[in-house]
Amino acid sequence: MKKQIKNAVFCLLFLASFGLYAQQTVSGVVTDASGSPLPAVNVVVKGTTTGVSTDFDGNYTITAANGQVLVFSSLGFETQEVNIAGATLNVTLMESASELNEVVVIGYGTTTVKDATGSVASITAEDFNQGAIVSSDQLLTGKVAGVVITNSGGAPDAAPNIRIRGGASLSANNSPLIVIDGIPLDVVTPAGVGNPLSLINPNDIASFSVLKDASATAIYGARASNGVILITTKKGTLGETKYNLSMSASFSEVGEKIDMMDGPTFERFINEYHPTHANLLGVDGTIYNTDWQDAIFRNAVSSIINFSAAGSLEEKTPYRISVNHTSNQGLIKTNDYERLSTSLRFNPTFLDGDLKADINIKGFYVDKNAIDEGGVLGAAVNMDPTKPIYNDNSIFGGYYQGTRIDGGQTVLDGDWNPVARLMQRQRPEKLLRILTNLELDYQLPINGLRAVLNVGLEKSTADNREKYVDQSIATYKVERFNPGEHFREDQDITNKTLEGYLAYNKDFDGFLQSLDAQAGYSYQNFENDGVKRLYNYDGDTGGREFQELDPYYTELNLQAFFGRANLNFEGKYLVTLSVRADASSVFPKSNKWAYFPAAAVAWRLSDEAFIENLNVFNNLKLRLGWGETGQSDIANIPGGGYYPFAPFLQIGSSTSQYLPGENLYNALPFNDELKWETTTTINAGLDFGLFNGILSGSVDVFKRETDDLLAYVPVPPGQASASSLIDNVGSTESEGFEVSLDVQAIDTQNASLNVFANGAYAKTTVSNLNGLSLIGAGGTLPIGTGTFLLRHALNQQAGAAWVFRQMYNQQGEPVYNSFADLNQDGVITNDDRYLRPMRPNYTFGFGFNFKYKNLSLRSSFRGQYGGQIYNAKRLTSGYLVRPVPVNTQALANVLNFYTGAANPIIYDRNGNVPFSDYFLEDASFIRCENITLGYAFEPLTNGTQIQASLTVNNAFLITKYSGQDPENFGGIDDNFYPRPRVVTLGLNFDF
Amino acid sequence: MDMKKILLILFVSTLAISCVDDLDTKPKVDLTLEELLAQDPNAVTGILSRLYGSFALSGADGPGSSDIDDDAGESPFLRGIVNLQDFTADGLKNRWGDDGLDQLTTATKWDENNKFFRYMYNRIYYTIPQANNLINVLGGVEVDNKSQVEGEVRFLRALAYYYLIDCFGKGVLATEENFGQSTPLPEVTRTELYNYVESELLAVEGLLPDTNSYGRADKAAAQFLLARLYMNAEVYTGSAQFANALSYAEKVITGSGHTLAPDFLQNFSGDNHTSPEIIFPLIADADVSQSYGNTTYIVNGSLSGETMTLSDYGATDGWGGHRASKGWYGLFAADAAGLAASSDKRAHLFWTGGHAYDMESYKKWTDGFPSIKFRNSAFNNPSGTNTSFSSTDFPLFRLADAYLMYAEAQVRGGGGSAATALQYVNNVRSRAGATAITASELTADFILDERARELNFEGVRRSDLIRNGKFTGGSYTWPWKGNTLNGTSIPDHYKLFPIPQRSLEANPNLTQNTGY
Repeated sequence: MKKQIKNAVFCLLFLASFGLYAQQTVSGVVTDASGSPLPAVNVVVKGTTTGVSTDFDGNYTITAANGQVLVFSSLGFETQEVNIAGATLNVTLMESASELNEVVVIGYGTTTVKDATGSVASITAEDFNQGAIVSSDQLLTGKVAGVVITNSGGAPDAAPNIRIRGGASLSANNSPLIVIDGIPLDVVTPAGVGNPLSLINPNDIASFSVLKDASATAIYGARASNGVILITTKKGTLGETKYNLSMSASFSEVGEKIDMMDGPTFERFINEYHPTHANLLGVDGTIYNTDWQDAIFRNAVSSIINFSAAGSLEEKTPYRISVNHTSNQGLIKTNDYERLSTSLRFNPTFLDGDLKADINIKGFYVDKNAIDEGGVLGAAVNMDPTKPIYNDNSIFGGYYQGTRIDGGQTVLDGDWNPVARLMQRQRPEKLLRILTNLELDYQLPINGLRAVLNVGLEKSTADNREKYVDQSIATYKVERFNPGEHFREDQDITNKTLEGYLAYNKDFDGFLQSLDAQAGYSYQNFENDGVKRLYNYDGDTGGREFQELDPYYTELNLQAFFGRANLNFEGKYLVTLSVRADASSVFPKSNKWAYFPAAAVAWRLSDEAFIENLNVFNNLKLRLGWGETGQSDIANIPGGGYYPFAPFLQIGSSTSQYLPGENLYNALPFNDELKWETTTTINAGLDFGLFNGILSGSVDVFKRETDDLLAYVPVPPGQASASSLIDNVGSTESEGFEVSLDVQAIDTQNASLNVFANGAYAKTTVSNLNGLSLIGAGGTLPIGTGTFLLRHALNQQAGAAWVFRQMYNQQGEPVYNSFADLNQDGVITNDDRYLRPMRPNYTFGFGFNFKYKNLSLRSSFRGQYGGQIYNAKRLTSGYLVRPVPVNTQALANVLNFYTGAANPIIYDRNGNVPFSDYFLEDASFIRCENITLGYAFEPLTNGTQIQASLTVNNAFLITKYSGQDPENFGGIDDNFYPRPRVVTLGLNFDF
Repeated sequence: MDMKKILLILFVSTLAISCVDDLDTKPKVDLTLEELLAQDPNAVTGILSRLYGSFALSGADGPGSSDIDDDAGESPFLRGIVNLQDFTADGLKNRWGDDGLDQLTTATKWDENNKFFRYMYNRIYYTIPQANNLINVLGGVEVDNKSQVEGEVRFLRALAYYYLIDCFGKGVLATEENFGQSTPLPEVTRTELYNYVESELLAVEGLLPDTNSYGRADKAAAQFLLARLYMNAEVYTGSAQFANALSYAEKVITGSGHTLAPDFLQNFSGDNHTSPEIIFPLIADADVSQSYGNTTYIVNGSLSGETMTLSDYGATDGWGGHRASKGWYGLFAADAAGLAASSDKRAHLFWTGGHAYDMESYKKWTDGFPSIKFRNSAFNNPSGTNTSFSSTDFPLFRLADAYLMYAEAQVRGGGGSAATALQYVNNVRSRAGATAITASELTADFILDERARELNFEGVRRSDLIRNGKFTGGSYTWPWKGNTLNGTSIPDHYKLFPIPQRSLEANPNLTQNTGY
């Protein structure tokens, strides 16, 4: 009944615009296949906003001209278009399960939403995030339950850090496998590239499939323990050529700065607390007021242009061609990023359609100016605000720089001027990358049997240089400058993929209705060949001289045999079985191969009479899956790399020689017993659609155990060639659940409202460390060297903070260097430290898409509940004696004690102070990822459709965190490149 | 159909080329031993060089690389020797306040989690298996002077074990025979380790040459280490070996051909490889042998532009960390003027300008005088190039120490000649310009003080104090001992450092030292 009222409202709205189009009255009845009248069917004159709904008896009346087309649509039915030829038009709509029949890419084949047996989320273009999308991960952020994408900051190509279900490994790579059009992404990111997903044009992407549970991922075995993201790019279609041109301009600004003291406040602070150092304020008696953060930030302008053409050659060969130009300014000055990319895709068929080819060529050219992010952000916080940015008398290219006299010579003193650091250094990082693949899909002379061959080649050439201009501070030594090239890296990456499989698909009569099976072989080879050159100050010549050549070469080879069968019994009982044999070159010969089986069953309850009769569910499916997957990506673990299995000798670097006149050779540590890390996952899921699809969603629960974890752990002292080795140690256990909901709240001819929400819980606990109770887990604190916050501890969440409990006085203020004596032995020792989980267990995303006539408003939010963040700026800049110069005459700025950004009770940071839980704060947050207001103009007479949009990305952030931004992948907030707030104007033309 | 068949055959054959052999990837930059020997027949010396270097370098890939899974800068072996032997003792203090370093410098509250113990322990047990590995490698290759090379490797292994005995008192006995065994080895006692090192050094003495190229061990190096081991035997095993100590010190003095450098400072300057006195150095070079843990740590750590002129000492970086205390310079004079007026040149090797004699706060740079004994400027050409890394070699063993060991062993009943003992002490003193002493002045206490004047900052002080019963307890105190200004008693179990927590976890057979 509610719907009818809404319909009535919309009818009124429709009547208001009636006069404009009145030509002829058309009326009729809309029925379903059985002849029952269908209420609330949308009837729209195609290409206009004129539309009505059918009444309770299926009747409609609309005004339109002969020759125009009426579009009949209703949720759960196939949309039908009918030409008007007369005053009466009765229509029968066919029931559809279109959403259920949506194709889902699952690797080496496809299935449908209806027939999927694993936990698979499919995200298509209409769900993508909007706005200034530079890299493809941004399309997906917050959209899939249990998939957390945390970029490492606001830099133009910041690494995305994708975690599906929290990650299963301790030290090995926890990122999911990403497969683009069947070609798995490289294990190595090319030199100078922060985000590997920036190397695919977001505008070329048609859909993502996220495989979460092992029954779905096991077909990718070796690299699939952390889930798989399959990216499918757009194709051409038969028919007339369609062109698309989209342009956007974005304006970015820094959201939240760090609350440092300004000049006058700092002067007050020094006079109040450190009056003996007041003489060091300002320059020659002049006190300046410089906001060093403002000095390095800018309001950045970016633009993205996409052009694509999709059609077919001679009506036979579909093609698509696209060009993208992205110019992205980082928030920090000189941090410019520019990308030119193009893609070309042909889908010719040969041999009477028996042989289908898919030819894909993608090219990228990236040119960015990399900055010394940490150094610049650190210096902007540390610099004394009473100093100027520029100084006319400066020998450092006009930039102010602190100096002092040492032994009659002028030497640099204090932090280097961060603005000069940006302006006096150039680090162009250029990359050319070509990605090609050819897929042949051949229908063999046996019915239902196909052979598929996919060959891919990826080549990239990186050229990174770093040089200093004349008079740059960084090159000042012994009262002379030694500018010039400082660093150079040349890198070539060659990746080859070859995959071939036989696919058999046959329908049967009887209990077994269909069989869909694949069996094949996969070969991948990744080669990374490069050389770094370092040029440094030379004491003898006084110039910058070539100092060191550091060549590197790594090769990774992965091979696999795989097989999968999808069985469909009576259309209701679905079974998937798969097995994969994987080999990786990183393991010793005896342990190269491992086997990963998986099985899943699904029961389509909604096809059972007892559910059908409820008339509630249009879809109800129960899924149960089990599977094993592997992990061999240890490239980034210390002691890991690519050849950890055998003794190799390394030539000592030119600065690490010892006995005069002898080359130094270093025996590298190795572990000849290394083997695969294995993850076993059990997953149960329920997919549902209620009330004709108005409410749909899915629930998944999982339990996962990872054994033989690959980690860098201490070995019994003296018994191996290093104090720690990469080894298979212990286990982790994870459990969690995910819920996705989608509500089609309004669905009429003029208005629609779709609300979506997803939430996930995932917790990973260390369950076995082979006898150890605690191993290091990194988390470097910015104090001294080798100060690590995190540990992996038995029965604790992986990577927990190992801290002391801070004592507080009655006013709730921390007591300096005072900690709880947890074991009550009268002394504060490491035994009094406890472990506090850092990672959030709950993550969520939600949003809505609202359309009213030509207007659309959409927004998406995401966040986390729980988790901790270490406010490291309080450690580096939040203690009372921070400004007091040590070995220098430069004062350092501090967090603003007067606004409460830090507490002056914290006197210094010696001893155990850095390990106080005082620095840990709740990292819960909700971020408004984007809000987009869109307007679709009426089509032009030539059919051109124009859409305009206004998007705000990172519109606001709700959090209790006292620092800048609680969303921090490593959990330690220090020198963080702020995420910009971005306003984007977009224009899209389809013609 | 023909076309289809051809395609089918092509397809199947492509699949058949399943390049399984490609799984055996090989590095190009790194080499196997066979490849290396084919390329450089002298490669074994290169591996030996790396073993020697393990006492001074942090890693083989520049000063930022680390052989052990600890900070490259903080963890090198020599840096550990200075931290554990000198900062815990009376003569030197560090002011940085890094977690763990404060505890060393004040000899209080140190525990099994102190990272500096872990660094030392891990470095010891890095060098030992590297040596074991090399001994095994030597078994399978043809090298000139194989027995000599083996002698050098075993000497270096014994040297690493010496520091295990001295600092930690127990551990596992990892040898070439059990190399690579994955089940945890049993713990062995200090005495067992002592006996092993003694027997190894006695065996090695016969393998090593009378002289060797610079930086490599010769007979005298083994004899010197034996003398040092015997000197401390009572501490290590409960049974004194002063007669052996004296006899091995004498072998070094009379048989090695080394002589005292005419000028004390020659031993601690950038060109000290020319000093005739150094028996076994740890090499440093500003260009080709860089480390934050060789003498760079001593030189740069003792300098600060705040009060000193870095270029006077050939340095470009001052880290403002280490200062001597009156526990050291108090043995020369009671104030800065007294130091300047002393005839003993060793009294002049403290920077006094802008600094206070007393160390009211060990964290304040200007409290206490920095030591300028070690410097990077060359003795023969002091105004040469200034560099950020040091080129000064560390005199791990030098002749003056052997003279003083002889004298101490003699005084403690190790036999020998009292007149020779007095002569040796006076040789050391007169070289520095100090007045000669008489036979009645030659006591164990005097020798301990003389050792401080002569050898502080050379990584022996803590052992010397322990041997003389003055490290723990309250009978002898120094500034900041026990974390009080004038010093206080520290517990007896501090004579040994705790076994690092991580090692206890990695080998369940290891037990903690008493008291921790």
